[in-house]
Amino acid sequence: MQIQRWAVLLLRVSLVTLFVVLLLLQTFSFPGQFAFMAQQHPQSAHLRWPLTFVFAFWILCAQVVLFAIWKLLALIGANRIFTSVSMTWVDVIVRAIAAAWIILAGVLLYVGLHADDPGLPLLLFTWFIGVTVLGLLMIVMRALLRQATALQTDMDEVI
Amino acid sequence: MPIIVRIDVQLARRKMSVGEFAERVGLTPANVAVLKNGRAKAVRFSTLDAMCRVLDCQPGDLLEWTED
Repeated sequence: MQIQRWAVLLLRVSLVTLFVVLLLLQTFSFPGQFAFMAQQHPQSAHLRWPLTFVFAFWILCAQVVLFAIWKLLALIGANRIFTSVSMTWVDVIVRAIAAAWIILAGVLLYVGLHADDPGLPLLLFTWFIGVTVLGLLMIVMRALLRQATALQTDMDEVI
Repeated sequence: MPIIVRIDVQLARRKMSVGEFAERVGLTPANVAVLKNGRAKAVRFSTLDAMCRVLDCQPGDLLEWTED
């Protein structure tokens, strides 16, 4: 129990740190980076805004996931993880990952069709598989949570 | 549910109030009401043990099976 408490605390600190870093990337780093790239390579300048929006969207998805994890941690702290409330936040995570996955699939398809060397498509493909695994894992864990919640609800009725 | 909980019979035999029974068994009055009204879905063996101890009876004296 003591280890779990420490893990939850460290996880919360890490989540906040990650959220802030992602916010900085989203608002300052990536837009600036793509503006600079458009200046350096005028032939790819038309990609500036699409790339900015795609990256901002991906980071938004990650932020939504972080926020949902934060909410789930609060439920664990309140000993209410096996209630229907937690299912809502797990659904939020699954949907955010699904949204990022769809955009990633689109980008992979676009890059795959236009690429002249295999480096970037391969990198994107690795990301694609990673996000797929993450999404499927969340779906499996969602099913486990549903089972545990049903079990807990049954147990609560035992006198 | 064809299982009937016969607490009231044993309480009457012991002349024990529901409140005293709940306190001595360690149940909430609400849960005693659930047992008495036949709305209980499941009972722990530890609860059954405590009830038998307080009422000085056998589980068979508390639980009765009937045809639906």
